[in-house]
Formats: sequence, structure tokens, C-alpha cells
Amino acid sequence: MKESPQSRNLEQILRSSKMAAGGFMGSDSRSVAEIIDADAFEVSKSGYTTGQLSVRMQEITDAAKRGLGTRVEVDAQHQAIVEEARGSIACPWPHLRRFVKRVTTVKHLDSGQIICWTDLNIHLIAEHGFFEGRGSAFRVEPGKLAKVIF
Amino acid sequence: MVLDILVAVAVVSSIGTVLAGLLCICEHFLANYGPCRININEERDITVVGGGNLLSTLISEKIFIPSACGGRGTCGLCKLKVLEGAGPLLPTEEPYLSDEETQSDVRLSCQVKVRGDLKIEIPPELFAVREYICRCASIIDLTHDIKQFRFELVEPGQIDFVPGQYIQLLAPVYKKGGEEVYRAYSISSDPSDTNSIELIIRLVPGGICTTYCFECLKVGDQVKFNGPYGDFRLSDNDTPIVFVAGGSGMAPIKCMLHHMKNTGNKRKATYHFGANVVKELFLIDLMSSFESELEDFTFVPVVASPAADESWDGQTGLVTEAVQRNLKNASECEAYLCGSAGLIDAAIKVLMELGTKEEAIFYDKFE
Repeated sequence: MKESPQSRNLEQILRSSKMAAGGFMGSDSRSVAEIIDADAFEVSKSGYTTGQLSVRMQEITDAAKRGLGTRVEVDAQHQAIVEEARGSIACPWPHLRRFVKRVTTVKHLDSGQIICWTDLNIHLIAEHGFFEGRGSAFRVEPGKLAKVIF
Repeated sequence: MVLDILVAVAVVSSIGTVLAGLLCICEHFLANYGPCRININEERDITVVGGGNLLSTLISEKIFIPSACGGRGTCGLCKLKVLEGAGPLLPTEEPYLSDEETQSDVRLSCQVKVRGDLKIEIPPELFAVREYICRCASIIDLTHDIKQFRFELVEPGQIDFVPGQYIQLLAPVYKKGGEEVYRAYSISSDPSDTNSIELIIRLVPGGICTTYCFECLKVGDQVKFNGPYGDFRLSDNDTPIVFVAGGSGMAPIKCMLHHMKNTGNKRKATYHFGANVVKELFLIDLMSSFESELEDFTFVPVVASPAADESWDGQTGLVTEAVQRNLKNASECEAYLCGSAGLIDAAIKVLMELGTKEEAIFYDKFE
């Protein structure tokens, strides 16, 4: 399929370090569409939807925010902490959405598995089905995400 | 057939490229806006070459407007009043402006193009803002993700600032595809040392400027910053103070404490500082020395949940819970807060429940 100027422009933004150090694509050589398609397949294998994943991520972030930067028992299975930094970050897609620089780190107490995401990750997954490219600082592996947060 | 399609695509692309090039050339040579006059605060006029955006035009005239995104229209910090000549409000500005600001002719200076004469209003304190070239003199690890950086000023060689103010540090391009960005950091140093500044910076994973500071910046490197900015500062009265901070929020409070010591300030002050575990506490010795040197100062480190292998007999829980437990004279106090938005919001709620007046709560929120 021929790439549109819009998607070419988006990919340039995602690969650049203009908005986030190392960009959103990391070392992934696949196109944005390929990454989204492959991750959509991983999400479907997990038995959840991107909507369900992002709603649960937001629930955990909201619970962790109450800890003011300290660890919070979200439920019997999950411990989480949020860390906030000065400033905000815009969604790289061409719409005017901005997000506080907040990182949520979640530990599944039984498995010991840990995963982290930003407020922007939640939006990228919910609205764009984008989990970021492999090697990016905030790539979220869909399969692991589903295992850890539910 | 395929060859025909490829040739057609190549031809169309080439025509598009040529037209885009022509537009750029026309913009450069034909859309010559010539000299434009900018009236500032009805006090002075500057004459500039038109065509650039207002933010960069003012910077070229050594007038620094706070901006964290380098003029990309994504931080919303570079607001100023443009009373005449700005043209219509752009869709890129709307999300950052309240109705009140829009009605008051507030604009994002990075989005306003200088196409003719302008009349603008700039807060007078911004005229004191300058660009500084400095040299990184030391880098000290405070915790696993917080470092203290000291920068010796090169040109100009001195800085005057009010304790509580911040500067904007320039992170140069250090990765392929990157670009220069400015990020705001509170000054943590003793204000009596006018030849250097100290910053306390926490690593933001994926953050452009903090990654530069933590991974690229070395002692001896030259960097630029501009400032000082901000109106977070101690008031001039005898009201008891409660400081509340966490993490790198230590920076402006430390600076204020140096200032209180330097000026022989006798105000009663209590500083609640929150950390997750004991090893995330830092500058404890300095805070102890402030306890000896200041007339009536108490430092209250609060550890949320000490690790199993950590020995801790101090206060535990959230820093806001400690404030709730300890503060007996909240209605008489002024509060100075610095930290994440969540911490500030929670602290304001607790302080107001305890009786602190809203107008007596001052803060520097990480947003």
C-alpha cells in the first residue's frame, strides 16, 4: 500500500527524538502501520481489546496517584507507583492532546512481573492502538501488559 | 503499465517538490516583510526584520520569554499580550488559552508571525532575564535517579535571582534526529554565590533534557541557560512557614533555606520532605546544619515505607499524612510547596482542611 504524505510525516515524527529521547519507534524498522497491526494481533491473542487494556491501565494509574509517589496496593495482586516530572508531552498524532509526564510502574505480586507506562502510552493505546516500537523507552508489550494488569 | 504508473508518480512528486521549492523561494524573496517595529509596553520600540515568529524575534533582541518546547507550540508557556498586529488567533494556540486570556489579547508568541508592526506587553520582570554561558563544574549523585549539577558562569559571570526562581537549561542536539530543547529547573544553590548556580535534576525516562544531563553532560562541558524566571518566592513577613516537598522538589526549598540563613531570618519554619524509602532521602546533613544555624527550623524527613533492610526511626507514611499529624498552627502558617502535581494538590487539600488560608499557600508545581 502506498504511504500517504500524512503517514510519512507521522512516521518521521515518531522516529525522531524531537518529542522524546530516542523517539517512539526505538530501533524498530517496521512501519507504524506494521507495528500497530502486529500488536493488534498480540492484543487479540490475549483475549482483551485495546479499550479494555487502556481502561485498566487508567484505573491502575488513578489508584497509584493516591500514593503521591509512593507504592500503593492497588488490589490483592497489584502494587503500583507513579512518578511525575515537570512538564507535559504532546501526542505525536496530529491532534492537540497533551499529557502530564507521569510514569506508572506496576508489579504483579504473584508473578513478580513489572511493567510501566506513561499517561501518553494509555492514550496511544486507547486512541491509536500504538504500543510504540521495539527498543523505545516506553514500548509496552501487549501480551505482557495483559498478563500483568489483569 | 507498472512503469507508466511509476513514471507518473515520479512526475507528480517532482512537480510537487518544485512547487514547494518555489513557494520557499517566494517566501524568502517576495514576501519580504522588511523592517517591522515592535512597541513594547508603550515604553520602547525595537525594529526587527519581519518574517520570523515573535518568540524567536524577541530572543534575537535578547528578550527572553519562557518557553519549554523551543517554539513548537506544544508547551503553552510563551504567552504575552499582543495588542495590535498579531492577526487572527490560530487553531494551534486555542488549546492553551482561556477565554479570559483570548479576550485580553494573550497569544502564544511562538505562533505569532512578525509580518508588520506589533504592539505587545511583556511583564517587566522578563527584561531582567538573560542568556548565560556556563561550564559544568560538578555532578553529584544524590539518589539513584537524582543528581545535583553545579554550573560556573562564564558569560555573564554573575547572576542575581530570587530564591525560588527557575532557569531554562538548553539541551543541545545530542542524538540523531533530535533538536535543541529548553527545560525548566529550579535553582537550588545558595543565592549568595552569584558566580554559579546549582540544579537538582531527577532523571525522566525518555526525557530529552534529563537524558542529556544524565548520559551526555560531563564536568567541563559548556552549556547555556536563560533566566531567572518565576514568582515562587518567600514573602516578607514573620508568619511561620511550613515547607512541603518531595524528590527534586527539594531544589527551591533548599535555596530558600540558604537565603533565610544568609539574611538571619528568624521565622519559625518546618520542612516536611517525603521519600519512598530511606535511601531516597538526600542532603540530610545539610538540613541538619540548617537546623543548627537557623533560629527555629525543623526538618522532618518522612519515609513512606522503609525497605526491610533499612533502619528508620523517623516518621513514616505519606508526607501529607505527616503534615496532618504534625501541623498544629496551620491557620497561622504560610505554606511553600514543591513537587509533582499530585503532591501539591494533596498538600493543598490537607493544609486547607487544617485551616491554612488559600492565599497563604504558594507552590511550584511540576506541570
